[in-house]
Amino acid sequence: MAVRRKLIKERVPTPERPAEERIHDFKEVNLGYTFELAVKEAERCLQCPVNYAPCIKGCPVHINIPGFIGKLVEYRDDPDKAVKEALQVIWACNSLPATTGRVCPQEDQCEMNCVMGRVGDKINIGKLERFVADYAREKGIDEELLFEMVPKIEKKGQKVAIIGAGPAGLTAAGELAKLGYDVTIYEALHEPGGVLIYGIPEFRLPKSIVQSEIEKLKKLGVKILTDHIVGRTVTIEELLQEYDAVFIGSGAGTPRLINAPGINLNGIYTANEFLTRVNLMKAYKFPEYDTPVKVGKKVIVIGAGNTAMDAARSARRFGAEVIIAYRRGPEDVSARVEEVHHAKEEGVKFEFFLNPVEFIGDENGNVKAVKFEKMKALDERDKRGKRKIVGTGEYVTIEADTVIIAIGKHPNRLIINTPGLKVERGRIVVDENLMTSIPGVFAGGDAIRGEATVILAMGDGRRAAKAIHEYLTKKREGQNA
Amino acid sequence: MPYKILDKKELAPKHVMYKIEAPHVARKVQPGQFVIVRAFPNGERIPLTPVMWDREDGWIVLITFVRGKTTMRMANELKPGDPILNVAGPLGNPAPIEKFGRVLAVGLSAGIVEVFPIAKALQEAGNDVTTLHVAPAPMAILKDEFRENVSRHIFEGFEIQEGWRTKEIVAEIARRGAEKVKELLSEENFDFVLTVGPAGAQKAVFNVVKEFGIPMHADLHPIMVDGTGMCGACRVMVGGEVKFACIDGPGFDAYKVDWDELIHRVGFYTDLERKALEEYLKSLRGE
Ligand SMILES: Cc1cc2nc3c(=O)[nH]c(=O)nc-3n(C[C@H](O)[C@H](O)[C@H](O)COP(=O)(O)OP(=O)(O)OC[C@H]3O[C@@H](n4cnc5c(N)ncnc54)[C@H](O)[C@@H]3O)c2cc1C
Ligand SMILES: Cc1cc2nc3c(=O)[nH]c(=O)nc-3n(C[C@H](O)[C@H](O)[C@H](O)COP(=O)(O)OP(=O)(O)OC[C@H]3O[C@@H](n4cnc5c(N)ncnc54)[C@H](O)[C@@H]3O)c2cc1C
Ligand code: SF4
Ligand code: FES
Repeated sequence: MAVRRKLIKERVPTPERPAEERIHDFKEVNLGYTFELAVKEAERCLQCPVNYAPCIKGCPVHINIPGFIGKLVEYRDDPDKAVKEALQVIWACNSLPATTGRVCPQEDQCEMNCVMGRVGDKINIGKLERFVADYAREKGIDEELLFEMVPKIEKKGQKVAIIGAGPAGLTAAGELAKLGYDVTIYEALHEPGGVLIYGIPEFRLPKSIVQSEIEKLKKLGVKILTDHIVGRTVTIEELLQEYDAVFIGSGAGTPRLINAPGINLNGIYTANEFLTRVNLMKAYKFPEYDTPVKVGKKVIVIGAGNTAMDAARSARRFGAEVIIAYRRGPEDVSARVEEVHHAKEEGVKFEFFLNPVEFIGDENGNVKAVKFEKMKALDERDKRGKRKIVGTGEYVTIEADTVIIAIGKHPNRLIINTPGLKVERGRIVVDENLMTSIPGVFAGGDAIRGEATVILAMGDGRRAAKAIHEYLTKKREGQNA
Repeated sequence: MPYKILDKKELAPKHVMYKIEAPHVARKVQPGQFVIVRAFPNGERIPLTPVMWDREDGWIVLITFVRGKTTMRMANELKPGDPILNVAGPLGNPAPIEKFGRVLAVGLSAGIVEVFPIAKALQEAGNDVTTLHVAPAPMAILKDEFRENVSRHIFEGFEIQEGWRTKEIVAEIARRGAEKVKELLSEENFDFVLTVGPAGAQKAVFNVVKEFGIPMHADLHPIMVDGTGMCGACRVMVGGEVKFACIDGPGFDAYKVDWDELIHRVGFYTDLERKALEEYLKSLRGE
């Protein structure tokens, strides 16, 4: 691009609802750009050449970021066309931009590398991505694009089963359907979406958005069987008799607990249980919705990842005082910067270097306090680059009538117990093509990585789809030969 | 994916039977396993037990004991021909169906419906099975079915006194259950005991069985949400370790269960459950 632009150092902010308003409901916090604001932000992008653009390198699925941002500026006089062109660029690498635009840790990925950071604010890539997806959905532009796509699909006559309707499974399903395979997703819960539906709260990712992404998959011909638990309702062995290939995207759903006395006291939730009650089952609307949840006046959330932030901010919305207690220091908080910032704005308090050693109950078996050992950090770092911590032998006890444990998760046990499936430390082992130890069975997402991110799960889904396509093409040719 | 209700019947006061088209469950289900049902768009997910099934015709039978809002809504609002929104499963591990010898299978209150498929399978596996059902007198269900399928079926019924609440009823089930089991174990030799029912009553029976030192299997009913090992709501302490009843159970060695903790945990939502039920009853009365 030859035109030289004037550098605009400051980011165009996205409107957000004020904290004092939003802690009373579950409606979305960030309101996103309008077209005018999006164009203003897009204009700031330097349009680095695609083979150089550092933002693209930072994106786990390598979206052509200057490419899609450029379209917004190029067709600024025709918003519909601008968005349609931009969406096409994004879709080449990412089929769930409304989701990733909201939940990706952009500050550690694309935005971390943005050259604008040397002179001013980095480009707000995440919010631009979100804008394109939202505008396209609201105007039906995404549907239009799909309609243009569907008739061109050439049926392959082979069937693929996908286990789990989280981001990994949904992405694999979409890609394979576009390649002409007959795809069926087996999902354990009553609603597809994985963590996007049962874990991440409405105020961060409205469920209607996830649902509309899933409707699009259905339009591509993907079939979804909810209430089907692989390992119980049907086994992988049985799937292999009916399908030509299988993809496992079953996530890391099993909550880790703390091995400390009192862990089963009433009022101690795993983050998964708490968030599932609140999000999937809509307990914040109890008794209009039948599923209850109990949130006390004083809540302690243990952990400091995205899950902990989501649990803490949800608990705030029930009117509780909330403390996040983390055994490491502030520099090791793994949650997205935006979520930590929102949590603080919403009045969540943070306590560092506290490791829970005992849950103390009252005479009715309800939790009333947590005893922590105070920790301190050493200069040494562990494999993940976090500072090592040791106990100090000093203890504090903090009162709480609800405790939410958000210290991580293991892959679902029903799947990893499949005979012949190689598993290491609870994770499914795959080769460079994401194929497991069982021929024709592929896997990706949290099931192979442990807890990771939405975009990595989607990247795996896409990579696996490509590998499955190659595998099935060979199989087809073998049969025809 | 809705599942059609093929038939619905009231078997006794508060005991409703549903025959439901659910081929994916019928194909696979084993005695001791359960399903998670969500009947309404704003409804809860609740665990229920397939009592009978037909693998070829693809149906299962569920029997609910009407106790709170969900089971009452199902009884009031579902008709034959209607769909049930979700029937997920089968879930949980099958009960141990081995050759034990003489087996005493105890259904405390509505627990009897879950005893049925297990007792039948144990009898078919060559055991001599006695089933005992302890419940308020009008609730003698499945008598004929048991008599056709096990060696002996005993119904231990009792009259409910004026003003008794759930708590008193469960206490009476516990008392009667423990007494009758003691009588049976004192007079005859049994090699294996199995119970299903309210945790308090199971504990009372266990305390008797323990005195006789007979192996005992207990199917537990902690609160569940997903039933697939994802939420941890159903955790119980077994042998000093945290187990998830939905994927490690629901049946466990009764000698290893921390009964008091289980009793506490099932009571956690009692106040909210009561509130939900009261609001529902109010809405029925048009208030
Ligand atoms: C509360 C929370 C907040 C998060 N926030 C963020 C964030 O802001 N940004 C980010 O990038 N990442 C975030 N993550 C992580 C991210 O959500 C996961 O990395 C991602 O969802 C993994 O995708 P997946 O498809 O591998 O698995 P999942 O999303 O876990 O989906 C797995 C699906 O498989 C189903 N399933 C499991 N077992 C079976 C079975 N046996 N048979 C059939 N179906 C089965 C499950 O029901 C589920 O629907 C968060 C996670 C949590 C829990
Ligand atoms: C593995 C498993 C299998 C199950 N199978 C069955 C089944 O086949 N049939 C069935 O009916 N239930 C079964 N249950 C129990 C059933 O899932 C729950 O009772 C269900 O949550 C009821 O929902 P509700 O909203 O109607 O009642 P809730 O609102 O949940 O409240 C139940 C209320 O009834 C009271 N109550 C509980 N048990 C008894 C009792 N035995 N007698 C009197 N009062 C009681 C409690 O104090 C509570 O207040 C099973 C549970 C598990 C875990
Ligand atoms: S690095 Fe920043 S300025 Fe360069 S193309 Fe990417 S977003 Fe634009
Ligand atoms: S019911 Fe959720 S883990 Fe068992």
